[in-house]
Amino acid sequence: MLSPAPHRMEIDDLRRLLPLLEGDALARANLPFGIPAIDGHLPRGGLPLGALHEVRAVDFVALPAAFGFSLALLGRIDRRKPLILIAGRSLAEHGRIYYHGLAALGVNPERLIWVAPRDRRQVLWAMETSLRSGIPAAVIAMVAEGLHLHDSQRLQLAAKTAGIPLVLVSARKAARSNVAVTRWAIDAAPAGRDRFGLIAQARWRVKLERCRNGRPGEWLVEWNHAAYRFRLAAALADPALPESAGNSAAWRLTG
Amino acid sequence: MLSADAAGGARLTAVNGRAEALDLQIGDRLADARARAGTYVQVRDADPDADADALRRLALWGLRYTPLSSPWPEDMGGDGFFLDVTGASHLFGGEMALLKDLARRLSQFGLDARCALAETPGAAWALSRFHHGLPVILIPGEEKQALSPLPIEALRIDGETSATLRRLGFKTVGTLIDRPRAPFAARFDGKLLTRLDQALGRAAEPLGFIMPPALYHARRQLLEPVSHQDAIVAIMARLMRDLVPELTRDGMGVRHLRLDLFRVDGVVASLDLGLARPSRDPAHVTKLAALKLDRLASDIDAGFGFETLTLSATQVEPMTARQESLLDRIDDHDTSEREAMLIDSLMHRLGEDRVRRLVARASHIPEQAGGIVLAAQVQTPSQQKPHTGPRPFLLLPKPEAAEVLSLLPEGPPRRFRWRGVMRNAVQADGPERIAGEWWRDRQGEPDLTRDYYVVEDEIGHRFWLYREGVQDRETDPPRWFVHGFFA
Repeated sequence: MLSPAPHRMEIDDLRRLLPLLEGDALARANLPFGIPAIDGHLPRGGLPLGALHEVRAVDFVALPAAFGFSLALLGRIDRRKPLILIAGRSLAEHGRIYYHGLAALGVNPERLIWVAPRDRRQVLWAMETSLRSGIPAAVIAMVAEGLHLHDSQRLQLAAKTAGIPLVLVSARKAARSNVAVTRWAIDAAPAGRDRFGLIAQARWRVKLERCRNGRPGEWLVEWNHAAYRFRLAAALADPALPESAGNSAAWRLTG
Repeated sequence: MLSADAAGGARLTAVNGRAEALDLQIGDRLADARARAGTYVQVRDADPDADADALRRLALWGLRYTPLSSPWPEDMGGDGFFLDVTGASHLFGGEMALLKDLARRLSQFGLDARCALAETPGAAWALSRFHHGLPVILIPGEEKQALSPLPIEALRIDGETSATLRRLGFKTVGTLIDRPRAPFAARFDGKLLTRLDQALGRAAEPLGFIMPPALYHARRQLLEPVSHQDAIVAIMARLMRDLVPELTRDGMGVRHLRLDLFRVDGVVASLDLGLARPSRDPAHVTKLAALKLDRLASDIDAGFGFETLTLSATQVEPMTARQESLLDRIDDHDTSEREAMLIDSLMHRLGEDRVRRLVARASHIPEQAGGIVLAAQVQTPSQQKPHTGPRPFLLLPKPEAAEVLSLLPEGPPRRFRWRGVMRNAVQADGPERIAGEWWRDRQGEPDLTRDYYVVEDEIGHRFWLYREGVQDRETDPPRWFVHGFFA
C-alpha cells in the first residue's frame, strides 16, 4: 500500500460525504426503460426505485409473461446485488424458476434468492425484512391476493427508505386499492421473429394502468436478450420483422 | 420391584430399598422372591427402552456442568453417566463442590446418586459403585491403592468372567493388578485386561459423548431462573460476547451454534443456529436467535424458568481478520457478507428449507441440469456452462402430459390440449433433440429421447413441449409433455 498519509485523509473525507450524496440520490433514483415513449409517462423519466410497484397479469396464463417482464425489468438494477424472489404456492402452478432460462432475461441465476414463506404473515415479514436490510437490488413477490392498505403503506415506506423497488406480481383481475406508485397490466404477445422466421425476442403487451406523477399508456414492448434492453416493437417500422410473421390472424397491435 | 422374562421364568431386574431389606436380590426368580418375602410385593414389568431414554435425558441435563457427558451403555450397567469435568470444576467452586451440587440436585429429582471423581472413567465407575463414603475424589496416581480392595466386579466385566475369576480365587482387584498378564490373556478374552488397564489409566478409553464436544463454549448461571424470551436473547448476547475473544484469537468465525437452556427441573431445550457464512458478530448472532425463538416460542416450554444457559460453537471456520471500523464506513464493501446476513435472518425465521438458491449441474437432461438447493448449502458459484438452446425460465418439476395433434408423426405440434384447454400452435420452433442418459442405469423406466419444441399460441403464450421417444424405435405412439414456460 503506497498511499501517503495526507492523500488518504482526503479520500476519507470524500468517503464521508458519499453517504450524504447517496441518500439524496436514493430518494430520486429511477430506472429508465430506455424508451422515450414510455419514460415520458413516468415521473422524472424512469421507474422510481424506492417504491412499491404492482405488475398484474391479465389472466392466469399470462403469469409467466408478467413475471418474465418483471425479471427483465429488475434484472438491470445493480447486477452485483442479489434479487430476492418471494413466492410460495402461487408460482407452483407454473413450476419453478429454472437456472438456464434466466440468462435470456438478463438475470444471472446465481443472484437469485428464492424465499418460500408458509403463509401471508410470513410473506409480509419476508418482504419487509428484505427491504429494510438494504441488501438486495430488488424484491419481487408473487402474491395471490392483494395487500391491505395498511400493509402496502408499510412496505412502501420500507422500499422508499431503502431505495429498493418492491414489485408485486399477481394474476388478479382488479387491484385492491393500495399505495403502489405504478400499476402495470401485462399480457403475452407474439414474439419477435428473426430473419428465418423463428421465435427470437420476447414481447409483451404492456399497459401502464396507473402511475403517480405520471400518465397511463399502452405499448408493445420487446426484450432484446442480447443487449439486455427494452425497445418498442413497432411492428410496421420494425425491419427485423419479416412479413411472413404478420400472417398470424391474432396479430393486433394495441397502443 | 421390576421383573423381566428370562430363561427359566421371570427374574428380578431392579429392587428398591424395602425389597432389599427383605433380602431380595437382582437376579432372583420372581416366584422364589414372592415366596421368600412372605408379604405382598409390588412387581412391575421392566421397560429397558424407557430406562435408556431416561438416562439419556439425565446425561443431557449433565451438560449443565460440562459440554462432555456420556451415558453408560448396557455393558456398564446402563444406570449412570460420565461427566468430563476437566477445566470445568472451577466454575462450580472446586471439584468437591461440584460433586456435592450434582448429588444435591439429583436427590431433588428423587434420585439416589452415587458420585465419584477420578482420573479415569474406569476408576470413577468402580468407586461410584463399590466405594463406601461418597462423594469421593481420587487423587491422581492413587488408582492402584484405591481400587485394590474393591471386588473384581468393579472392573466392568460381565457376570461370567467375574464368576470364573471368583472360582479361581481372585476376589478383589488387588489380587489381579500385579499378576503376570499372559495367563489371563490366554484364559479370558481381551476385555478383562483392557478394563483393568483403563481403570488404572494405562490404556486410553474413548467415551461416546452424547453431544460432539463443543469447540468454543460459554456458560451463564443465573441467580433467578428466566423464562422470558427477551431475557434469553439478552443472555445469549452476553454469551456470544464471551466467545468473541477466543474466536478472534484463533481467527475463527462460527458456522453453527447451539444454545442449551437448562430448566430448573432438569429438562433441557436446545436451539440450533446455522449461519450461511462464518461470523463472530454478537449482534448478528443474537438477532438470529431472536428470530428463531420467535418461530419456536410455542414449542419451548419454559416451565418454572431456565437457570443455566450455555452457548457452544459446534462448527467454526477460518475467518479473515479485518478492521471493523473500516467496514462500518464503506457500507457496500462486502456485499456477499451482508447478503449472507440477510439469508441467515430469513432462514431462522422462516425455516432453513424456505430459503433457496439456483444451481447448475452437469447434465443435459433439463430438469437435472438446473437445481434448487438450500441457500445454506451453496458454497461456491456453479461452474457449469449455460445450455445453448432456448430454455424456459419456468420449468415444471414433473412434465405434464398433453394431447397433441401434428400433421406428421415426427413433425411439430399443430394443436395441443393441456390442462383442459385446446391451443393452436401458431409457431413451433424445433426440434431440439435431447437424448436420454443411456449410460446411467436407472431402475424402472429408461430415459427416452426427447424432441423439444418452443411453441407459441395465437395470443403469444410460449410453451416448451416435447415428444418422448423416437417413433417405432422406442415408443408407439409418441407421448407429448408440457415442460416449461417462456416469458
